[in-house]
Amino acid sequence: MEPVALMSDRQIETGVIAACQRGDREAFQLLFETYKDRVYAIALYFFGGNEAQASDITQQVFLKLFTKIAQFRSEAEFTTWLYRLTTNACVDEQRKVRRLSQLDETFTFDQVCVSEAQEAQLARRETAERVKEAVAELKPKLRVAILLKYFEGLSYEEMAAALGCSKGTVASRLNRGHKALARRLQHLRGALRQGD
Amino acid sequence: MFRQHVRQLLSTYCHDELAPTEARRVAEHLLVCQRCRGEYEAIKLGIALMRELPTAQAPDTIWPQLEAALTQQTEQTAHDTAPDIAPVHVASPTATQTPRRLAPLFANWARTAAVSFAALVVACLVGGWFYLRPNAPSWEVARLAGAPQIGRERIGERGQLAVGEWLETDNNSRAQISVARIGEVEVEPQTRIRLVETRPTEHRIELARGTMHARIWAPPRLFFVDTPSAVAADLGCAYTLEVDDAGRSLLHVTMGYVALERGARESIVPAGAACATAPGTGPGTPFFEDASDDFLHALAAFDFKQGGDDALKIVLTEARVRDTLTLWHLLPRVDGDERARVYERLAQLSPPPDSVTRDGVLHLDEQMLTRWKDDLESKWLPESFPAVRKAWRHLWQ
Repeated sequence: MEPVALMSDRQIETGVIAACQRGDREAFQLLFETYKDRVYAIALYFFGGNEAQASDITQQVFLKLFTKIAQFRSEAEFTTWLYRLTTNACVDEQRKVRRLSQLDETFTFDQVCVSEAQEAQLARRETAERVKEAVAELKPKLRVAILLKYFEGLSYEEMAAALGCSKGTVASRLNRGHKALARRLQHLRGALRQGD
Repeated sequence: MFRQHVRQLLSTYCHDELAPTEARRVAEHLLVCQRCRGEYEAIKLGIALMRELPTAQAPDTIWPQLEAALTQQTEQTAHDTAPDIAPVHVASPTATQTPRRLAPLFANWARTAAVSFAALVVACLVGGWFYLRPNAPSWEVARLAGAPQIGRERIGERGQLAVGEWLETDNNSRAQISVARIGEVEVEPQTRIRLVETRPTEHRIELARGTMHARIWAPPRLFFVDTPSAVAADLGCAYTLEVDDAGRSLLHVTMGYVALERGARESIVPAGAACATAPGTGPGTPFFEDASDDFLHALAAFDFKQGGDDALKIVLTEARVRDTLTLWHLLPRVDGDERARVYERLAQLSPPPDSVTRDGVLHLDEQMLTRWKDDLESKWLPESFPAVRKAWRHLWQ
């Protein structure tokens, strides 16, 4: 999995955001198209692969973003604001659906049992499935840090800004997240590609 | 050094977020601290696991639903009606759906000219973004002599070798590559090297032909060199690797260990030893370069020229205590009577530990082979470097 490229040129963002602030729907759509997959991916893996929930979170995030964009001032990075909206939406939603996630886990487990008997080409998908489950069981703060790192390719400084914490805290959360994944999925070491 | 463990820095180290001096301190500490190295392996596994997750694409249905919600909001604003609007939700049996409150937004929505202009700006910006998007990761290359080339371009004093690019030297050129922050590779004349991969858990180059000298100060199995006939996996070391036009290679290790691998065949080559590889065969049997000429010729014949029993006889006869490196590697590469003869000679030169039996070795019991190797290892490294030997034994394990 490669991190998605960032729209790094600040002038591009500034121009599009200014158009959005004037109510330009084409600009809204561009902004949406540029960032939708990143927001969706974070939500998808935050909620253990629940696509409907990820779609719902994505819609909520962009509705909120478009609602508030008139108030956005360019002292802060747009992406920092967007990722903060996204992570907050995920964490808020998590509190509401904690009970229901257990049903989803049971369903996923059944699927895994079926795929275990399939050929090697499916093994990788199964590994991804296990990783997805393990990520979904991390504490929300660790999960968000891990997802921002691997789906957005953010630096520690950018993550610290998005999460509203220090770089040291980011490093600590990533350390704990990685180790928790390794502990839980130690048995998959052999299934990973050589050199990994 | 042990007072300053590096466990808290390991993710930062793997993500290349440390300053060079700090990164080097971490790498050096990992070489000697088994506890931190255990944590490092866990962090690396965590990173590798995350890379297994595929990227995700948002479904196309979101924008129409979002747009409908925006339009609904706009109409309500225009008619100055109730300010609360619920978003259009994706059908979700599990998601909790909560109405969202929208603030007034689009005061002047029907500005056709402005929209057209914005669309033009958008097209230009998207095009610009493609030109400005981040480049592939690369390593710095310094010219040491002549005119090394990256792709078809000659480099000046310095250049950048990106993933997928070839670095080539002619008869008079030499260059030095900085391997991320974990080491250096010196490239001799008439050499072709490609950067295959560079990421926190793996740095990999391809040596198609020529000679390179590597000095790596990273933990084991972070730096790999693909050759036409084997992969050289760094175990924390310094070495020289040569590849000829036929795809054969020769490895000389000057510090630490290197593993040469192809499929299930593996040769572990310690400092002072060498190992040849050939297409179709993979790694040959490692040997110490100060062995007798007869031993070396016979081993080459056995490994690559179907020298068979005659060659094996010479190898066994000529073997010294230090050449148990070669004999230990030969055990799984021969069978039947030949394996028994290799065992006898090996046991004669260095009797196995009490827990290692003849029968177990002849049946290639992995644990027994490892225990015997651990015992033999003291004969393979110079006696003057007990601390080094101890450190490398930890690494190997």
